[in-house]
Amino acid sequence: MFTTRRGLLVGAAVLAAAGCTREKAQIIISDADLTAALHTARALAQGAEALGYSDIAQDHLAHVSTLERLLRPGKVGEVEAALPADATALAEAERTGSAEAAEACLKTGTKYAVLFGELAASRAAHAAVLA
Amino acid sequence: MTATDDGLAAEYAAIYAYGAATVHLDGDPRWVAESLEAEHRSRRDALLDYYDANGLDAPPALAGYDFEPLTDAEGAQQLLLEVEANVTTVWRAGLGSEPEVRELCLDMYIDAAVALARWRIAIGSAAADPWPGRPE
Repeated sequence: MFTTRRGLLVGAAVLAAAGCTREKAQIIISDADLTAALHTARALAQGAEALGYSDIAQDHLAHVSTLERLLRPGKVGEVEAALPADATALAEAERTGSAEAAEACLKTGTKYAVLFGELAASRAAHAAVLA
Repeated sequence: MTATDDGLAAEYAAIYAYGAATVHLDGDPRWVAESLEAEHRSRRDALLDYYDANGLDAPPALAGYDFEPLTDAEGAQQLLLEVEANVTTVWRAGLGSEPEVRELCLDMYIDAAVALARWRIAIGSAAADPWPGRPE
């Protein structure tokens, strides 16, 4: 088809312009449980930070970072969540978040079972510390 | 060895370690250690019930466990910190199991992570940990 180097280059340019070249393959993960876990982690991070529990907020930000990486190249928008009024409310939110992650751990395939289990355990430990 | 075998072995070892370490502790660490030892005994009993209910043979506890001789509170605190971290790591490893075993491992893992956080606070360490029991 392309008998000269110039022909090859021109042909390549035409194919590229027509969108016929192969893009680098990317794995797209769209998982409702991962997305829900990300929303929860963001809300808990904001709540902990607002109440001055920076070490707990850092844990949640580590979760946020991991979950965002797993969901790439998708982007999950921020959802506004009410901040907890006090440590008791934050502990309750941590317990709820732990239960949510535990449920996801039990219904997922083995692929993300450890991750969801870790989220559940970390949040439960926060709740116990805050109580 | 199954995930529950490993977990039960870790609980046996924890009970043995608390038996040796708690006597060296005073104040809040002593009180928390006694409480956590009771939790390990409860978990052991729940696991033995699980084996019994499923017609399985539970592995027995060892006659003794090998660790450095304890002479003071600092050594006892450090031993129990290692014990709690180990129990958490062992139960975390069971999360990849099939669903019926996974649920048991998850319950045990969450309890272990809470115990690890409680012990860290009791000895004045930071309790926050985004990935409890994850091997470094």
